[in-house]
Amino acid sequence: MASSGYNNLNAKLVLLGDMGAGKSSLVLRFVKGQFLEFQESTIGAAFFSQTVSVNNSTVKFEIWDTAGQERYHSLAPMYYRGAAAAIIVYDITSTDSFARAKKWVQELQKQGNPNMVMALAGNKADLEDRRKVTPEEARTYAEENGLFFMETSAKTAANVNDIFYEIAKKLPRAQPAQPPAGMVLVDRQAEGTRASSCCT
Amino acid sequence: MYGTLGKRDLAFEYQAQIPILRPSIHARRANITVKFQDLYGFTVEGNVDDVNVLNEVREKVRQQGRVWWALEASKGANWYLQTTVSSTLKSSLKFSALVNQITLKRLIRKGIPPNLRPKVWFALSGAAKKKSTVPDSYYKDLTNAVEDKVTAATKQIDHDLPRTFPGHPWLDTQEGHAALRRVLVGYSFRDSDVGYCQGLNYVAALLLLVMKTEEDAFWMLAVLLENVLVSDCYTNNLSGCHVEQRVFKDLLLKKCPRIASHLAALEFDVSLVCTEWFLCLFSKSLPSETTMRVWDVLFYEGAKVLFHVALAIFKMNEEELLLAHHVGDVISIIQRTTHHLFDPDDLLTVSASYLIYHVSLGPSFVDIIFYGRGRTLVDHLQFQKMASSSVKKAAFLCSSHLNPVYVLSNFLLSKCLCT
Repeated sequence: MASSGYNNLNAKLVLLGDMGAGKSSLVLRFVKGQFLEFQESTIGAAFFSQTVSVNNSTVKFEIWDTAGQERYHSLAPMYYRGAAAAIIVYDITSTDSFARAKKWVQELQKQGNPNMVMALAGNKADLEDRRKVTPEEARTYAEENGLFFMETSAKTAANVNDIFYEIAKKLPRAQPAQPPAGMVLVDRQAEGTRASSCCT
Repeated sequence: MYGTLGKRDLAFEYQAQIPILRPSIHARRANITVKFQDLYGFTVEGNVDDVNVLNEVREKVRQQGRVWWALEASKGANWYLQTTVSSTLKSSLKFSALVNQITLKRLIRKGIPPNLRPKVWFALSGAAKKKSTVPDSYYKDLTNAVEDKVTAATKQIDHDLPRTFPGHPWLDTQEGHAALRRVLVGYSFRDSDVGYCQGLNYVAALLLLVMKTEEDAFWMLAVLLENVLVSDCYTNNLSGCHVEQRVFKDLLLKKCPRIASHLAALEFDVSLVCTEWFLCLFSKSLPSETTMRVWDVLFYEGAKVLFHVALAIFKMNEEELLLAHHVGDVISIIQRTTHHLFDPDDLLTVSASYLIYHVSLGPSFVDIIFYGRGRTLVDHLQFQKMASSSVKKAAFLCSSHLNPVYVLSNFLLSKCLCT
């Protein structure tokens, strides 16, 4: 769950999608600025963190990059539980991966955190000549389901940082200040001061 | 095949020539990261300390090699087989066999020399026996028959071939991909419940590197999935893996209560790191020779070693873990440790401390072995209700003297049915 001090926010983000859609590659591009033609297949999940600045605050993403094979589905709740954001990734050259992405959206709508910011990423946008899923189709689906949509390419870096920045921007709004009870409010102030002095 | 015996020995000798650096230089260079190839051709990044540790490990491996060869010379080439034969026939348990068994267990914990590994693993894991029950041409016929078939599993396998240890000098070649494909596709047809599960690609790849032939790697994979590991680890919903995770959580709570409660307070679920360990059998986390040492014990003593090694990794970092305040810190501590465990003895010594006291591991460990021998979950729950703690304890005492999994499960089953 996103938790915040005054100017910074820790946000758990999970990547979901079919195997080979490019989840790990997106993360690698975002976190390390690298791209590998053949990215090792992820087993279970891999963890990364990366901080981005938006306006006057920072968002530290704690990223869970999950395994894509269907049978790993049963492990997924462990990773998306309490997540503030999710990127659902499909491969624009595979209609199957788009169908799988829709299933993930449904599952998150049912089981996930109701305030979760969800992004739909049509990855491998550099492979235009092999495209099977049109951006219109994906955009329509995204709009109908309250997700925001971008086509990305981990290979060329197109839109990769943008999708994470866009999530970062949406996060505070998706997490409206939960008015805590009076007593707790006092505690919060103390927490905030502590956070800015020792945890930054 | 990658690394024929001659080549491997040559590389081995050559790497051993790297001079051990003196402490003064060592101190200055400690922060410099160097890249080098390890015994199995994997590129490793480490600092000068790591290089030194690897040099020492190589020396120890050579010494172990001499011990094994001396035993071959004095006891005969297949002396270690005499232990398993007589342990099943309790009445004819010969003293020499018992001595062999004790010697063998100790020796295996210290590591099987790389060039004897294919032979010893094949014999002790039960792979040889499994292979002997089918016609000689089984593997050839199987791979020929399924060569051109396309299934969901084969598509996934093809997708993963170049993604399995990319950059490895043999695995990441056409020849390597083709061999790995035949093993994985062959197995996917042998057991359609498993088909192909991601994770097996790494396991099979390492088996190919160790075993001399592709066919032996296939049989090792078969015995691993069908006899050695908890069953249903890799089938459709990974149910075996879920059971393993639950058992491991129980174990951690019992053996490392401070760590367990601290991690619980951070809302850190240990499955976040253990899933990969148990599904890839540490092949993606530990350096290759350390992984092989874990597998040495795995093939002789059974799947319990996976739990002990996982416990050891947490235990080795107890103080540091207790100071961690974020999930990310916990993961980086664990990852840094596993990637730098170049000295297998460091890990196996700690994990062996759990082996000695394994009688006290508690009922859940018995449950998993019982479950692991092909019972359904319903049977498993029934068993929990039925079996008294004394039965479970007795089973453990029994297992500490005999080759564990089969004896234990049969013992439990018989007790369960009697009570």
